[in-house]
Amino acid sequence: MTTSPLPLLVPLGSAGTAVEEDTEEALASGIADPWVTIVWNDPVNLMSYVTYVFESYFGYPRAKAERLMTQVHKNGRAVVSSGGRERMEVDVQAMHGYGLWATLQESGARGAA
Amino acid sequence: MTPFRAMRRGYEARFEPVERVVLAKVARDVSAMLREEAGLDLFADGDDPGPSSHHAPGKGQAWANGLLAPDELTDADLARLTGVTGVGRVPTDPAAQRLLPDASKDDADIADEFRRLTQNDVAQAKVDRLEAFAALLDLPSGEDAPEPLGRHGAPPPVRVPREDAEQFAGALTDVRLVIAERLGLKTDDQVMQLTDEIMWDRQAGREIPVATDGRAARRFWSGVFVAAGYAQETLMDVMLAELRGRRPLA
Repeated sequence: MTTSPLPLLVPLGSAGTAVEEDTEEALASGIADPWVTIVWNDPVNLMSYVTYVFESYFGYPRAKAERLMTQVHKNGRAVVSSGGRERMEVDVQAMHGYGLWATLQESGARGAA
Repeated sequence: MTPFRAMRRGYEARFEPVERVVLAKVARDVSAMLREEAGLDLFADGDDPGPSSHHAPGKGQAWANGLLAPDELTDADLARLTGVTGVGRVPTDPAAQRLLPDASKDDADIADEFRRLTQNDVAQAKVDRLEAFAALLDLPSGEDAPEPLGRHGAPPPVRVPREDAEQFAGALTDVRLVIAERLGLKTDDQVMQLTDEIMWDRQAGREIPVATDGRAARRFWSGVFVAAGYAQETLMDVMLAELRGRRPLA
């Protein structure tokens, strides 16, 4: 993920909030839902676009959307939603539509990296 | 190109005519590549889908690798001969793979099933919005011109209606993903370095060269990549501001 292509544009300054939910923790425990959707980092998508997708599609508040975007950027991935398999397939399809690379997996599964 | 601004009838930015022409052409090339790779034309009823739709980008050096169309059977030929359709097949072009990625990193069954269920819909939606994107960027001509050209012959601004803005941004994403794949951009650092180089050249007043050799072609496509990123970033600024303005703070 990259920031703005122009120096005159201010990168997302408020994105530096602490990463509270680690993907591994989220995968290992605390999620009752059987499946999760994971969004992976890529060098092309803009931070602002990824944040927009999280706010617009999932309806997440700004703080949560920016936290997840930062997780994707810094950790390489983030769990962005959880639920039944069919629901996750809908989310993954939507993410692919937006041009983000997303995968689904069972929430207890390990070694996705 | 000027930044996108929120106006009453949509989001507006002024593009240089060459920017409009080039971005529209790239979008149509990506659309054609996607149709071919996803096998969408195999589902068109009636008409002969004709020869490979891998036309424009394969000619010349502009695309350094990947899109040169070999003189071989088209997918339509294969479909006629074998009865095999393109349902859910894995794209062979790396750029198409990026637009239609696997839905699982380590479970081929999940990825295959997902592709079978969703790929045609995802690919068709991308094709449709790329075509709409290109049509919006086409320079108005003759009687179609919605308003007369300005004193200096400048075309009217690109106006993206709000209801189309997400599709427009999505098409920009697909265009950027494909160009990045062609340029071999794999890391955040590579993208930032390339962006710096292009911006430095632009500030120094150096023209982007016409693509006459491999190096010039690379520079050219790097410029297109950065321009598309600028359009997307400024569009996101205004779209995010309006999206947040409509919602309560939480």
